[in-house]
Amino acid sequence: MIPLRVQVKFFVDNPNGLDLTVFSVIFQRWIQQNKLEGQMIDVADYLHVPDGPGIVFIGDQTDYAMEQTGRLGLLTTRKRQHSGVQDQLRDAFRLGLTACALLEAEPELKGKIKFRTDEAEIRFLDRLQLPNRPESLDLVQSNVQAVLSEVYGDAPASFERIGDEPRHVLTLAVRAPGAAPVAALVEQVKAKIG
Amino acid sequence: MMATNWKEALSARIPEDRAHDIDIFEGQLELRRQNKLDEKVFAETRLRWGIYGQRYDNGQRFDGKTTRSLAYPAGELTKGPSTLFDAPGMQRIKIPFGGLNPDQMDGLAELADEYSDGILHVTTRQDFQLHFIHIDDTPSLMRRLAAVGVTTQEACGNTVRNVTACPLAGICHDEPFDVTPYASAMAYFLLGHEDTQDFGRKFKTAFSGCEQHACGLTNIHDFGLLARVKEVDGKPKRGFTVFVGGGLGTIPHQAKVLSDFVPEEEILPIGQSISRVFARLGEKKNRNRARLKFLVDQLGIDEFRRLVYEEREKLPYDERWTNFLKTLPDYHETPVKPALSLNGSAKPDGFEAWAKTNVYPQRQHDYVAVYVNLPLGDITSRQMFALSDIVRKYSGDNVRTTVEQNLLLRWVSEADLPALYNDLKAIGLGEGGIGTIVDITSCPGTDTCKLGISSSRGLAGELREQLTAKLPTLPDAVKDLKIKISGCFNSCGQHHIADIGFFGNSRRSGNYMVPHFQVVLGGKWKENAGSYGLAVGAVPSKRVPDVLDVITNRYANERQDGESFQSWIARFGKKEIRALLEPYMQLPTYDENPTLYSDWGDSREFSIGDIGVGECAGEVVSLFSMEIAKAESKHFDALIALDDDHIAQADEGAYRAMILAARALVRTQFWNVSDDPNKVVEEFRSRFYDTKLFFDQYAGGKFAQYLFLRHENPPAEPTADGTRRLVEEARLFIEACYACEARVNGVIVA
Repeated sequence: MIPLRVQVKFFVDNPNGLDLTVFSVIFQRWIQQNKLEGQMIDVADYLHVPDGPGIVFIGDQTDYAMEQTGRLGLLTTRKRQHSGVQDQLRDAFRLGLTACALLEAEPELKGKIKFRTDEAEIRFLDRLQLPNRPESLDLVQSNVQAVLSEVYGDAPASFERIGDEPRHVLTLAVRAPGAAPVAALVEQVKAKIG
Repeated sequence: MMATNWKEALSARIPEDRAHDIDIFEGQLELRRQNKLDEKVFAETRLRWGIYGQRYDNGQRFDGKTTRSLAYPAGELTKGPSTLFDAPGMQRIKIPFGGLNPDQMDGLAELADEYSDGILHVTTRQDFQLHFIHIDDTPSLMRRLAAVGVTTQEACGNTVRNVTACPLAGICHDEPFDVTPYASAMAYFLLGHEDTQDFGRKFKTAFSGCEQHACGLTNIHDFGLLARVKEVDGKPKRGFTVFVGGGLGTIPHQAKVLSDFVPEEEILPIGQSISRVFARLGEKKNRNRARLKFLVDQLGIDEFRRLVYEEREKLPYDERWTNFLKTLPDYHETPVKPALSLNGSAKPDGFEAWAKTNVYPQRQHDYVAVYVNLPLGDITSRQMFALSDIVRKYSGDNVRTTVEQNLLLRWVSEADLPALYNDLKAIGLGEGGIGTIVDITSCPGTDTCKLGISSSRGLAGELREQLTAKLPTLPDAVKDLKIKISGCFNSCGQHHIADIGFFGNSRRSGNYMVPHFQVVLGGKWKENAGSYGLAVGAVPSKRVPDVLDVITNRYANERQDGESFQSWIARFGKKEIRALLEPYMQLPTYDENPTLYSDWGDSREFSIGDIGVGECAGEVVSLFSMEIAKAESKHFDALIALDDDHIAQADEGAYRAMILAARALVRTQFWNVSDDPNKVVEEFRSRFYDTKLFFDQYAGGKFAQYLFLRHENPPAEPTADGTRRLVEEARLFIEACYACEARVNGVIVA
């Protein structure tokens, strides 16, 4: 199965007081600096929409968003891929964690932002192949488990399907209580999956 | 067995002919991918399916320091001239008369999630737009829409665009009858009709129920229909006053009356006849003069009318002309709840203020229509899913999009209002302020539009935030003002028909470009867009909030009892308005105030040329600035003369302003040019027009034609209408001179 889009979200720990407009400035700068892998194109500001996608950093094959929906976090969307669930999910984790680490190191955010690694959210944006039904979880379960093992290493990671609303996309909550901080996870992921 | 693609999955839910059309488009897409279909042919094909280009799709983007090339997997393969195949684009989705049901809302939300960035945008033509769409996803997207009865067909391109109608049609207190079924019949009759396939430009249609309100804005449409009932043989007869040749665009035209009364059974054949005349005689080569308004102007309304009725006589009979009339007696909307009054029900906090602006009591007793305020016309997919549930609960299949980029839930039982308010608030859609100064309309501007000059959405967002904070303290007269913003002169934000309008432009300062907005005052939204505002001066984008404060404070303090903004502007005078603006028009240097050199919501410097400017060029810039200031001054005199009804003086002033602007440009190359208009035009033509230096990437040489036409054909007796247009044309010509000078002297125009 080749899913249409796969998303991974890392939540911000204690987002109170964070000025979200700064992410637009940082993403624009990242374009100048070629900071991220792949072709990045533009920055879209949706801060005027309550509980919306926030600041979206649009790329050709990967989008990043400081998403306000639910809890604030960095949402990484892998799109336009011809690979299977496992590859796309692995890429989404790797790219997302890398972006989290870069954000934590940006001068405007240093000491002000910290991404949680003990939990994450996975979404499959493909209502045709993976509608939000219990049986869809069966189709991706082994792939998800394999990727989580690569990402979190020895730290135990579990996941469960959250939300029964059939119109929404298949969403999984990931728990990894003993996970290393972002920077260490990035190193771990790079070492394991390149 | 689970379907592996949407074509298979939805085959039973899509009408056969619609499915076939989408299959054909998918085939053409594949041919283009293999480079076996001409890019121009494919471009027109995809436009007719509502698939539009988006900013940076030529593979170039200014990052604030330099212009970068964007690399895509498909390389140089294009989906149209200068439009890379893999570059994200925009999908426009047609919603005839804005009518939506909850299943369609769910369908739209799914698409925003899976193919776009999670945002649905309502446009000023009651359409939806999705941005950042890859063209490979469009066939599936179209199938999923078709499965819920929505099409993207002819949403863009040289076609009959979405047929709009007043969102209050059928529930309004003033209309003689509900125009909804007529708008629907017209939309589907003209959709894909063979007589509408050979236009030189787009064709916009609107239906209104009444004259006095903004209603369907028939005055700004190519084809406008205003409901009327006339007594015929002692019996009331339904029909429409038909208008043609209206339009905003760069130079707005008020529509003219084609017929005072067209009976209901004749509106479809009259629409078909107008289409035929437009297709046969409308301009095809020069798209800048290809809208119907130019044809009506060129022929005169009497000759145009004669041709339409002559065409009508030739039309072969079509049963569809009247078939829809048979269904009219059964046409109705079904509420989900019985009509109950609010009476003394408990009201939640904030309810009263919200209800004051967002609730419209229907003419049907104890039913109300509820506006949902969408910031900048945006709604998230999550909100849309939740809203569709709310709609099922309170309104049923009775939702409309509005041209002011909001949603309207109709047939709500008045007793449900407190619960509905709470439900809307819970999903972040409980904002009030509909129809007030905070309810700002804006086109996409530089966010996504290829033509945008300044950030209309950035400015709209900033003004909305600032004005919302002070709304409770604003005087009522100011609260009721309308603000509309376009990112360029093309009027997609409808700035001409707002009390206070803005359209994007730019100015050069040293080696930098500075985002600006032209201030347009005194347009009229009511009376179906009864009159257009006039430009009074350009100010830097970042100063617009201050300028707005100054204008509205002055209006609030000096208006006489009951005086409208339009009347106050007329009484106050443009000289005084200009004097108010002057302090804000001065540009400090970059070092003095760098914040003015970037736009709202965009941290990039607006434009920085990487080409150095030497001393000589520096002097030239200085000379241009001084010379163009003379043109500005002359143009302003023309505005004043127009205000004072000195038509001949205004005509001459506008013409002289264009000559001065052309001369300012010529002097950057030929310092010693004389001030003889013939010589100036000759030099301008040979140096800037024939060489195409003056040509805008999208508008071509259009603005130069304004100068040439007036120079070669001065009117024997200028009319008020013609002069008003000339003054507007002169404004655009001057703007084009600024842009040309910046291009030619090596500054990147972002």
